[in-house]
Amino acid sequence: MSQFSILLHYEWRHFRAARGLVLLTSLLLVVGLYGIYYGTTEVARQRRHLAELPALTRHSEAELRRKFAGPADAGEIGYYHYTFARHQPSPWASLALGQRDVNPYYLKLRLLGLQGQLYASENVNPTKVLSGNFDLAFVLVYLFPLLIIALCFNMLSHERELGILPLLLAQPLRPGVLVAAKLTFRGGLVLGLALGLSAVGLAWAGVPLDGRVALWLALVGLYCLFWLGVALVVAAWQRSSAVNAVALLGAWLLLLVLVPSLLQVCVAAAHPVPQGLALTMQQREAIHGGWDRPKTATMTRFFARYPQYRDTATIRERFAWRWYYAFQYLGDQSVAPLAAAYTQGQQQRHALVAHLGWLSPALSAQTSLNALAGTDLPAHLAFQRSATRYHDALRAFYYPFLFKKIPFTHADYARLPTHAFASPADLGTAARGLWQLLGGVGAVYLLGWALLRGRAVAPR
Amino acid sequence: MLTSIAQKEFISTLRDRRFVGLSLLVLGLLLAATLVGRRGYAALQQERAAAQHTVNEQFAHQPGRHPHRVAHYGSFAFRPKSGLSFLDVGIDSFTGAAVYLEAHQQNSVNFSPAQQAGSLIRFGELTVAFVLQALVPLLIIFLCFSAFTEERETGTLRLLLSQGATMRQIAWGKIRGYSQAVALVVGPALGLAAALLFAAGSPARGLDLGLRLGLFGLGYAAYFFVVIVGAVVVSARQQHARSALVLLLGCWMLGCVILPKITANLGAHFYPATTKAQLDAEVHAETQRGIDGHNPHDAHVAAITAALLRKYHVASEKELPVSVNGIVMAEGEAYSSRVYQAHFAALNRTYARQNALADWAGWLNPYQAIRPLSMGLVGSDFAHYVHFQQAAEAYRYQLVQRLNGLQTRMGYGDKERRLGAATWQNIAPFAYQAPPVGWALPALLGPALALLAWVIGLSWLGLKLVERTPL
Repeated sequence: MSQFSILLHYEWRHFRAARGLVLLTSLLLVVGLYGIYYGTTEVARQRRHLAELPALTRHSEAELRRKFAGPADAGEIGYYHYTFARHQPSPWASLALGQRDVNPYYLKLRLLGLQGQLYASENVNPTKVLSGNFDLAFVLVYLFPLLIIALCFNMLSHERELGILPLLLAQPLRPGVLVAAKLTFRGGLVLGLALGLSAVGLAWAGVPLDGRVALWLALVGLYCLFWLGVALVVAAWQRSSAVNAVALLGAWLLLLVLVPSLLQVCVAAAHPVPQGLALTMQQREAIHGGWDRPKTATMTRFFARYPQYRDTATIRERFAWRWYYAFQYLGDQSVAPLAAAYTQGQQQRHALVAHLGWLSPALSAQTSLNALAGTDLPAHLAFQRSATRYHDALRAFYYPFLFKKIPFTHADYARLPTHAFASPADLGTAARGLWQLLGGVGAVYLLGWALLRGRAVAPR
Repeated sequence: MLTSIAQKEFISTLRDRRFVGLSLLVLGLLLAATLVGRRGYAALQQERAAAQHTVNEQFAHQPGRHPHRVAHYGSFAFRPKSGLSFLDVGIDSFTGAAVYLEAHQQNSVNFSPAQQAGSLIRFGELTVAFVLQALVPLLIIFLCFSAFTEERETGTLRLLLSQGATMRQIAWGKIRGYSQAVALVVGPALGLAAALLFAAGSPARGLDLGLRLGLFGLGYAAYFFVVIVGAVVVSARQQHARSALVLLLGCWMLGCVILPKITANLGAHFYPATTKAQLDAEVHAETQRGIDGHNPHDAHVAAITAALLRKYHVASEKELPVSVNGIVMAEGEAYSSRVYQAHFAALNRTYARQNALADWAGWLNPYQAIRPLSMGLVGSDFAHYVHFQQAAEAYRYQLVQRLNGLQTRMGYGDKERRLGAATWQNIAPFAYQAPPVGWALPALLGPALALLAWVIGLSWLGLKLVERTPL
């Protein structure tokens, strides 16, 4: 048996004897399984709710059929009929729920102005979302570093403090081999656990077997390697166990708590998002002003955008639905620059955070996992764009009825456009995160290696 | 003896370079969090106040309109930040800032800061409360984990005991010494917070804010005391400094990271809440059974008209001094509001049930006792949020009903006429008054008692354990 495998063997026996560590490792295994269970049930719940929505639309249609027994004015139907833009989660969402609990995963749409409907929020328990989600990504990003710290904080110092290290080093054994064996054993344990849990999670969530699986595993593996590297640096620094524990926990606090929260302050200062409040206020002014403006002025502005309806009858009556929907649409148009600025501001913030991921591997790991699962802000913005297109399709469907005065019959309900949207994976962000992690891993191992080379392992 | 032990601990702590470094870091973070929080608070507050002002101006300066048009035009209610929320943002980042107030329906409170941020916000925010709740306990752990183990390892514990000191006395002395050291770190930040508060605050709210800040300080004092006693007890019971540190850090992770999240998730799992779509559909189905103000063929309308004709002894609607439409609108609004209120109350009850598990966990985990206490005192918890929601709804209801009243007095044929622009200036705008501390206290009794139980229980049981520790 080679020296290395003997060392590995004894590390294993040592680990088995340390009841606390075995307990901690099994606890993490259980907690990881709970995270997978929680994530999958949460996404299943969202899927169930999404599946219930068409029934609500059908129910309202049945009501409208009763209310308007014969052919009806499409304006009435457009006012009362509602339908849903649905944001279907990808199977990956079960593993990293991201912002899916904060951002609404469906939008109720009517033919009215879109901007008044696009930012509606879903019922959420704020106290619960404040505590956050206990999904697999949380276990991997938050808790695995803690396991690594618990396993590694006394990697060399323990033996030194017990006085075993001089005995060990008196053997024909290079200190580098000793450190490598210790790190390999711990790395094998942690990586086995992290990748094993990921495999269970991937299978449980039923993700399709494509390149994303490899990307996920690579991200998780690199992230664990990074923390093992930090432990190596601290071990090579050769202080007492207590100092090591403090240093490692300090690194955890720094990278998982302080850097993200300070970054948040900086990002908010660098890109102040034009608030949505101004947007809704202006949209209301524009739409309600529509009632007071002369009808011909409204219709001229509308026809400039929809010349195909220019030849329709002039509105002389006090109220006409086509005039009503024209000023609803013009209200949306009048706030279009504000809406674009609002979305762009959010996008810029997100991009800046993704760029600054190298400041904290935890941040880049979390951002990448969310990006992979399509649960972060870009996915939500994509959903909003898709909902906007759906609203456009609804308008395009109703306008001929309204302007050409075609009666809306019962058969027309079935012809209403429907909507489908599935979370896209943001592979660019995930790949960038991978490079950032790779850089971090390279940096810590280089530093650890340099420290070990620069200063011999002191037996005492 | 007790005093001299306390003094020794205090002085040796101050001489410990590691502690000084860490405390400076924590103090720096606290001060930074106070200033950043204050700035963010001022920015949000100003933004919302400006928005509220704009909306009120817009409402007052409407042209001549029919009152029901005005009811649909509606208004907005912006939630002002509570004066102390720069110390603890609580759930404010996850609750909306603005609610649109209009006739016939109650809208959701939209535009929460969390929706505008990416997942970065889920790492937590740097607030004074976060530093106090999570980081100061870590500082305490690093300060106290070797309280007894070091004395034992260097053999000074025997010397102390041979001087006639009891284990209990030594423990109390250490607790006092460490408490003084912690107060030295936390005190300046709270002082700064108080100074910022009273430099800018209006004197009218001064007493209320002062009381809230005082209780806030008191709550955290109790929390830190619990952590210090716990750490000293663990240090006494463990043979080695290393195992004491690992055990304490494990407790910190369990208490500050894992348990809060798990209890919140389990609560939501056991008591699923209805979705907005479902709630809207249920409300709609129920209001259908009531009166629809916009439907002239509604059966209820005929009954109301008949009753009015009898009341005013006239033969036709034209002769009535009031507008049937206005009365029907008012009836419909009263009915639909009741339905909405019942559903929102049910939803809030579900949330309360979801949160109950986390609240009860305060008896097991001091972190989960101080967190609701802190949020509640500062005015950034769920109860204060609901208070705002209800105030906004009460305003909405009285606004719409007042407009319906105006419509009623317009008499027959109101739809063809408008009311003058001056009418809208007489309607009072939405002004939100945050509830006083006395309103918030009863709900905070649970976490306060849990914290108190920790203080008493740990002082009694923990010190008993210390006393019985074999040398």
